[in-house]
Amino acid sequence: MSKEAQLSIAERDFILEALRENVRLDGRQPDDYRALNISFGEEYGHVNLQLGKTNIIVRISSEVTKPREDRPFDGLFNINLELTAMGSPAWENGRTNDIEAYATNTLDRIIRHSNALDTESLCILKGVSCWSIRADVHVIDYDGNITDAACIAIMAGLQHFRRPDAVVRDGRVIVYGVEQRVPVALNITHKPLSVTFHTFNDSKHVVVDATLKEEQAAEGDLVIGINSAGDVCYLSKYAGAPADAMVIVNKTNVAWEKVKQINAAVEKVLQADLAKRAKIGMADESRAENDRLVQIE
Amino acid sequence: MRDRLQTRYQVQAQLRRPIKERPAHEKSQRETTLLLPTLRTLKKLPNFYLSIVNMVGPIASLSQLNRADGSASYKCPATGYSILGAVNAPIELPARRDALKPEEATVEVFVKPGTTTAGVGERHVEGILRSVLGKIVLGREKGFPRRGVVLTLAIVGGENVERGDSANLSQYLTILPALLHAGLLAMVSASVPLSMTFSATLLGVTKSGDIVRDLSPTAAKAAVSLHVFAVSSKNHLLLNESEGRFDFDTWELVRERALSVCQGETAASADGDVTMGEGTASASLNGFIRETVEDQVYSDYAFKLDSI
Repeated sequence: MSKEAQLSIAERDFILEALRENVRLDGRQPDDYRALNISFGEEYGHVNLQLGKTNIIVRISSEVTKPREDRPFDGLFNINLELTAMGSPAWENGRTNDIEAYATNTLDRIIRHSNALDTESLCILKGVSCWSIRADVHVIDYDGNITDAACIAIMAGLQHFRRPDAVVRDGRVIVYGVEQRVPVALNITHKPLSVTFHTFNDSKHVVVDATLKEEQAAEGDLVIGINSAGDVCYLSKYAGAPADAMVIVNKTNVAWEKVKQINAAVEKVLQADLAKRAKIGMADESRAENDRLVQIE
Repeated sequence: MRDRLQTRYQVQAQLRRPIKERPAHEKSQRETTLLLPTLRTLKKLPNFYLSIVNMVGPIASLSQLNRADGSASYKCPATGYSILGAVNAPIELPARRDALKPEEATVEVFVKPGTTTAGVGERHVEGILRSVLGKIVLGREKGFPRRGVVLTLAIVGGENVERGDSANLSQYLTILPALLHAGLLAMVSASVPLSMTFSATLLGVTKSGDIVRDLSPTAAKAAVSLHVFAVSSKNHLLLNESEGRFDFDTWELVRERALSVCQGETAASADGDVTMGEGTASASLNGFIRETVEDQVYSDYAFKLDSI
């Protein structure tokens, strides 16, 4: 199977007819997101996100590499999204499909190109070494709207992640282990998120965060990337039926509200997790009777 | 047969009454999870604590995902790896990949590393998994010939598996048991017909000649040789992957140790029923696999048990 099972005509008509009466299949209002649940794993930058039945794991990792020749002051940041048969039986292992290409492009444009992660702060020694930050997105359950879910998870992961401390001494780069020095948070310049809308019935009905079935019944989509300050950093009307200009203006305002809400929710979970970590802390590691780590320089 | 099954579950219902009071998501997790948060710190403490770490059993749960036909998560506290497995079966294979063996199912395995792109190491381990699982899947059962059994394993927790450089032993052996267990449990969860179950273990021989079980990736680097054994529920040796320098006597010792780790004290009685004592069974890995599946069956059939 290499295609998602199509909606039956009856199902499609049911969804469209219900929307005409302002009812969505799961009882949400047009501008409501599904229940959002974010949790962090044991390691820094390990995020498990559930948006309704869509489930995503994001892992952030870092390593020291050589910067690009043309940008000696910049570190590297990459977003890697690979869809596997785990998320949906329609996706084939080891093969790219349209959703993957589209989602990767959207995430790149919203998070990477808007410079949400300050890559200049990742430079260790000009032209010689820098940090390479990598975000791996694992879609483990797919029920529509992976771009929004992945975007929230990556941004939460970047804020949660701590990279090892590194210093330059006598022209040599020394990377300290997590036990030796308190790891450093990444430098986040702003927090953009994507908000995806789908249009139905000649763009009379526009809903946010569509489920897979709603996505299949939709006639077009509209993706808005916007941060908490209200700066629109990405807007795409990729395909499908034309949308009214006023719809885009109105929905941009809706998206702004949503982004503020979601960022506040992420912040809350993040603070709770960091407080929990601070409590456990390094108490056991910093005990006097432990073996001393030998410094190799 | 049905009566026997019922009485067995009745007995187990009595034995395991407290399980009902636990919330659903914790059902198949052992109480040993309490030790987990301190694990990282314990690793750095003296050997006495290390022996406690090794006593912490693995944690597994079945059928968590919605879209896949079957799924399982497996976490091994000793090595720190956490694996998520999903099985889609029987599924129509694209193109003509079924043409080679038209009379049975094709098993496909895909390993997705957590923080890198898949490479040679993953392809190698996929081959091992495919050969082990391909042999126990009953691919000629009704509905399976010419279809695919697609297993996807994602490494969602634990250290990155390092790329092999010839000076070190291959780090992929350290993760192989976890992958095998996750794969097997996902197959069970997807109700793929299997001829037997199995369990696998990683054993390492240190410089002083000690045989150590479930080594962490750092300990594995220091080991002289690494061995992965998979032993079936019927005591067959299914897999032997060894690396490093060792002689035949060492290998024999390691094999015996592996058998005792996987089989434990469980003994098959004359009628073929395996007696399951609460204490001894969970000490062996085969017992652990059984218990995980049993817990799942128990919660799946809760409606039946309640009506008895």
